[in-house]
Amino acid sequence: MKSRRILLATALLSVPALLLASLILGDQTISRADLASLLDGSASVQTRMIVLDLRLPRALMAFTAGMALGIAGAIAQAVMRNPLAEPGILGINAGAALAGGLVIVGLKGAGAALLPLAGFAGATLMATFVFILSWRNGTSSLRIVLIGIALGALAGAGCSFLIAFADVADVQRLMIWLAGSVYAADWGALGLLVAWLVVPVALACLATRQLDLLRFGDDIAASLGQRVNLGRALLILLCTAISGATVAACGLIGFIGLIAPHVARKMAGAGHARLIPASALVGGLLLMAADLVARTVMAPAQLPAGIVTALIGAPFLGYLLWGRRHAAQ
Amino acid sequence: MPLNENEPVPGLCLDKLSLGYGNRMIVESLDLTLPTSAFTVLLGRNGSGKSTVLRACAGLLKPKAGTVLLDGKPLAGFTARESARRIAILPQGPAAPEGLTVSDLVRQGRYPHRGLFSRWSGADEEAVREALELTGMADLREQPLENLSGGQRQRAWIAMSLAQQTEILLLDEPTTFLDLAHQAEVMSLITMLVKSRHKTVVAVLHDINQAARHADHIVMFKAGRLVEQGPPGRIMTREHIRRVFDIDPEIVHDVKTNARFILS
Repeated sequence: MKSRRILLATALLSVPALLLASLILGDQTISRADLASLLDGSASVQTRMIVLDLRLPRALMAFTAGMALGIAGAIAQAVMRNPLAEPGILGINAGAALAGGLVIVGLKGAGAALLPLAGFAGATLMATFVFILSWRNGTSSLRIVLIGIALGALAGAGCSFLIAFADVADVQRLMIWLAGSVYAADWGALGLLVAWLVVPVALACLATRQLDLLRFGDDIAASLGQRVNLGRALLILLCTAISGATVAACGLIGFIGLIAPHVARKMAGAGHARLIPASALVGGLLLMAADLVARTVMAPAQLPAGIVTALIGAPFLGYLLWGRRHAAQ
Repeated sequence: MPLNENEPVPGLCLDKLSLGYGNRMIVESLDLTLPTSAFTVLLGRNGSGKSTVLRACAGLLKPKAGTVLLDGKPLAGFTARESARRIAILPQGPAAPEGLTVSDLVRQGRYPHRGLFSRWSGADEEAVREALELTGMADLREQPLENLSGGQRQRAWIAMSLAQQTEILLLDEPTTFLDLAHQAEVMSLITMLVKSRHKTVVAVLHDINQAARHADHIVMFKAGRLVEQGPPGRIMTREHIRRVFDIDPEIVHDVKTNARFILS
C-alpha cells in the first residue's frame, strides 16, 4: 500500500518535471533567464518560437498520445484477457502500415500528406476485419488474438511487397512515419488529437465496471448478467478509436500500450476505475520521456520516439515473460 | 408437484431439453423439475451431461431444442441481468484475473444489482459483508487471491456467488480439489443456505457419499439421459449405482444417523 502511494506520487511529480525538461533541453538549451523572460513577456522571438511553438506542443503531444496508448493498452489487456496483449494485437499497426504503404506507392510524393488519414483508416478497417472474422456465434478472446496475429502478418507482408515498388524517398518518409514520431507536432495537430480523444476516453472511463467483469472470461461475466459479445465489441471499438487516432497523429509507437498498464497496476491495483487513469498517466510519462531521449541523445540528429519505446519495451517484455516463467498452464 | 394447469411450476424446470456443442448432442429430450428450497445433487459419470445441464440452467448454453423455464417462463425471455439476479452459477475450477483481492472478487457478485452508472450502495456493501461472513472469509478480504490455499479460494468464489443474492445457486463440483475439512465446510454451508435461507441449491458432485448424506433430492444421469431421481433414501440403491456408475457397490446403512454409505 505504501509503495503504491510512493510510486503514484513519483509519477505525478514527474509530469511537471519532465515537461520542464522537455522545454529546456535540446539543440539549444533554454536558460533560467530565458524561461523567466517567457513568463514576463520580454522573451526574444527565437526563444518564444523554440519553446512555445516547437517544444511545448511536441511535449504535450507526446504526453497526450502516450496517455491514449496507455488507456488503449489497458482496454486491450482486459478484453483479450491476456497480460501480454496490446492494441497492436487487433491488427491496428499492421493495418495502418499497409494503408500507409498503399497511399505512398499509389500517390507517390502526394501520398505523404495523406499518411495520417490512411493510417487511421487502415487501423480501423483491420480491427473490423479481425472482429468479423473471429465471429462464430459470438467472439472469443483467443480467436481474436489468433486472427489478429494472422491478419497482422498478412498485412505486414503486403506492406513489404508494396515498399519494394516505391520510390526511395517515399519509402524513407513512410519508414519514419512507421517508426512513430512526434517531431511534426504543432498546436493544430495536438488540438485535433485531443478533440478526437475526448469522447472515447470518457466512454472508457465510464466502462470501467464492464472491463473489470469482462476479464473474468465469458462464462462468469455472462452468469453475472453481462452481455459479453456486445460489451467486447464496444470496448474493441473504443480501443480502436483511441489507438487509431494516435497512429494518425504520431505513426506507430509500440510497447507503450503493453508497458503502461503493468506499471499502472503496481501503483493503482487491478480495478479499472483506477487502472485506466493510472495507465494514462504512465503512458503519457513514458512517451514524453522517450521523445525527450530520442531528440537529445544523438542531437542534432533526431530519432523517432518509437525507436526509443522499442528499446525500453523489448527488455520489459522479456522481464514480463521471466516473471511468468513458472506460471501455471 | 402442483399439477394445477394454471399454476406455473416455481423455480427451474427443464422441458424436453436437448443440449450439445456443435453437432455433438450431449443431452436429449430431458424433462426435469428442480425442487425449490432444497439441495439437489446431479450424479453421473464423467461426460454424462451433468455440467452441461447445469450450464443450460444458468442460460450459459443455448438449448438445441426444448426450453428452460424459470417460474414457468422461458429463461431465454429474461435479460442477462434479470436472470443473473435470480440464478447464480459457479463453474468448475473458475479462474480469476491476476492481482485481485478476495473483496475485489466478491464485489463482482453485485454486478447484476447495479445500474450501469449507479454508485456502490449500502445494500451492496451489506451483501458483500454477509457473503464474506457466511463463507468465513471476512478476515481474508484484503488478501490477494494468489496467496490463498485452494480451499480458501473456492470459498472466495462461493462468496462471490452469494453476494449475487439469488434464490437459485448452481455449483459445478464445488468440493473438488478441497481437503476433507474444507469439503465438510462447503457442505454444511450449502445445508445452512437451504435450511435457513430457503435457497435452491443444485450441485454437481462426484462423491456419492457426500450426495447421499447431504442432498434432499438426487438426479442420476447416464449418457445424457435421466436414469432416476428422488430422495437419497430411495435412490441410493445398489441397483441404481451399478447402472449409473458401472461399479458393484456395497451399501452400508448406518441406523444411528440414517445415512447410507456406498463402498465401491
